[in-house]
Amino acid sequence: MARVVNTSLLSNIKRHGKGSALDVSACFNCGNCTAVCPLAEETAGFPRRVIRMAQVGMEPELLASEELWRCYACGECTRTCPRQADPAEFMAAARSYAISRYDFTGLAGLVNRSIFGNLLVFAVFSLVFELLLSAKMNPAGPQAPLFRFLPGWWIHDVGVGLFAVVGLSAAFGMISMFARFRAERVHHGSAPPLAALPGAVVSGVLDALLHTRFRQCDAAEQAAAPPTEPLVLRPWFVHVSVMGGFLAMLLATTLDYLLKPIGSPAPPWYPMRLLGAAGGLVCLYGLTVMLLRRIRAKEVPWRKSAFADWFFPSLLAATVLTGLATETAVYLPLGRIGHTIFFVHVVLAMDLIAMLPLTKFAHVLYRTLALVLYSWRRAPVAVTAADAEA
Amino acid sequence: MNTQIDSSFTPDALVVGGGIAGLQSALDLADQGLKVLVVERQASIGGHMIALSKVFPTLDCASCITTPKMSAAAHHENITILTSTEVEAIESAGGVHHVKLLQKPTYVNFDKCIGCRLCEYACDTEYPDPFEEGLGAVKAIAVPFTNAIPQKAVLNAEHCSTCGTCARVCPTDAIEFDQQPRRLTIATDAVIVASGFKLNSITVKPQYNAQRSQDIISPLTLERLLAPHGPYGRVLRPSDGKIPGSIAFVQCAGSRDESIGVPYCSRVCCMYSIKQAMLLSGALPLADITIYYMDIRAFGKGYEQFFQNAKAMGINFVRGKVARIDPLDGGDLSLHVENTEEAENPIAERRHDLVVLAQGMIPGWNPAAATPVACAADGFVATTSLTAPTATVAPGIFVAGTAAGPKDIVDTIAEAGAAAMQASQYLFQKRAEALVG
Repeated sequence: MARVVNTSLLSNIKRHGKGSALDVSACFNCGNCTAVCPLAEETAGFPRRVIRMAQVGMEPELLASEELWRCYACGECTRTCPRQADPAEFMAAARSYAISRYDFTGLAGLVNRSIFGNLLVFAVFSLVFELLLSAKMNPAGPQAPLFRFLPGWWIHDVGVGLFAVVGLSAAFGMISMFARFRAERVHHGSAPPLAALPGAVVSGVLDALLHTRFRQCDAAEQAAAPPTEPLVLRPWFVHVSVMGGFLAMLLATTLDYLLKPIGSPAPPWYPMRLLGAAGGLVCLYGLTVMLLRRIRAKEVPWRKSAFADWFFPSLLAATVLTGLATETAVYLPLGRIGHTIFFVHVVLAMDLIAMLPLTKFAHVLYRTLALVLYSWRRAPVAVTAADAEA
Repeated sequence: MNTQIDSSFTPDALVVGGGIAGLQSALDLADQGLKVLVVERQASIGGHMIALSKVFPTLDCASCITTPKMSAAAHHENITILTSTEVEAIESAGGVHHVKLLQKPTYVNFDKCIGCRLCEYACDTEYPDPFEEGLGAVKAIAVPFTNAIPQKAVLNAEHCSTCGTCARVCPTDAIEFDQQPRRLTIATDAVIVASGFKLNSITVKPQYNAQRSQDIISPLTLERLLAPHGPYGRVLRPSDGKIPGSIAFVQCAGSRDESIGVPYCSRVCCMYSIKQAMLLSGALPLADITIYYMDIRAFGKGYEQFFQNAKAMGINFVRGKVARIDPLDGGDLSLHVENTEEAENPIAERRHDLVVLAQGMIPGWNPAAATPVACAADGFVATTSLTAPTATVAPGIFVAGTAAGPKDIVDTIAEAGAAAMQASQYLFQKRAEALVG
């Protein structure tokens, strides 16, 4: 099979990173990054191989490599790179590029390549949700309950529609990644058997939820460079806070819809409400640490930030903040202010979901899938009858 | 050779450094009838080269080349040598360079000392021998090493117990405990800076953990282990005296690495490592020898053939930069490296029992602070012109050898000759102009 070389692959990836600040062309493939990486294993070497793919334009291989998403950006490679080629930043830029390429709408490319594109897509989505939600808004008095002002069933219906569209788009992206992975494996004659896929799904999802490899990364980092950071500041813990907090809020919202009539009043100690509030606070803690690290810009993985690095955590933080404010507004006679906070929260939450496959948020899709594929790849290759004869 | 000079002595040229570059420059100038003063910081001339075992690519004995040069310089009627002397500053005015020198006390009167070594035999205080890179021991008063020039005893005040035994046994009463540092200024028309190099420290890259194992050594230590008159007389690993069975060379351990601030290629490490690997396979026929490299830079005459010979001899070459070295219990060393030419299993753990960190050259002296000479961004003396490659920014001051940048012995000697030629041309032109008026 003919292989196509994309000669502009590296410059395209650079446009997804920090532009000229990303000097991966300085890399002379010495392998230091791979050897120092706490996650590189005997059978799978990154980042060097992925950098090589980008340098020589092997786009199919690059987009098929689940290694991209197995990197958690601990920055050890960048700290020790003899050429200061910044492999960690390259991996981040390549992930951003992959998000753009897996997305079939082309919007992700717009979002990840430029600040203007990112803000434009955000503005258009916000406008659409504003108009949609305003359509059924009741011109109720300032003291009207929130769900009388904005009917709960309408939020629900718009939300279901949104989830359907985004779900479809996310599925396309994941299928795109899966198909590339499988095609590449078939090309190299090392495709793992489909029978091993369900088991891989279980172990991959578990890895994503439990941060198994993220913690392995952290352990190596702490061993290499004492003094150790306190647990609550270690990258994996901070990430668990954001992810766990987010899942708690998602669960609370879903159960809220399922277990009680939409918009019916509930006391502050109602379990779902408590779960949501706790999740929000934990999530906000993690996001604050992440954003502060980017503002300080001292340690390696947070030293350089593209706009996309700011956008997703900021959007999530804004959604959580307005959510917590809404929870408070329910019990306070805030009138129009309460209505506004609620409205903004719903629009931001919908923006967040709508932009999931486009922003850094997409890592929940692709990193999870990558961990599944990694687990799948390590399954023993089935020996066909033809192979056995040969 | 005369070590008792004062400021009335006005040589035609002053050479900073008595290594192979300085000696070659001094000899080439002196042979043209010019008076030369050689100033050496150490107690003996000979520089790094006199401590090497053999040289590449011919595998000639380094001492057999250096000692005659040292001896020729020491006995030349036009050459004066000051050892244990540092250049503190150079002030240039009206085409004359006033070189400020600091003569450090040796506590031995060189006019009286006859090099009989009775003091050395009688002394009962020892310290790790700096000539042997800290392996073996040397007496607190001693001739610096076997073939040192001058063959005069030097007392190390840091390690001396001031027991006075040396003074009692000295047949010529040469020991002078009351010697003081002496400053003098020499006026000269031309200066050649041949101040040489240092090897970067083996602890410069923390990932290599050199401070945690005695068996992670510098290449100069290995030179001494390989030298026939070295500290042990054979190759043993320093920690426990075991005969090493598996030796690793880590290339670019102190150069071509921006993370430690030395981005340039040191030019000689590939070749000296290959040479050392060859000598090791002769000294230890059963040992496995592996060279971990990023690129083999075998650019000189006969060098590529030398590299191919090493491969044919069975020395392993693995392409990959060593990222980390972990000392293991039991004394072995674990190397983390990706074999970038291996598709399957590229990052298998690799164990060795002796590791040589091929450190790059860094400048031996920074003249920019106290002299009119300027240094380039890499810290080596800056040269100004492709057509006058040994000229510095200061007229009448020239540079030779590794003071100007990393280079091997062949190139150093050629450049030292070139610097001497440019300096003598400068001096004779100056004399001619003075005659014309």
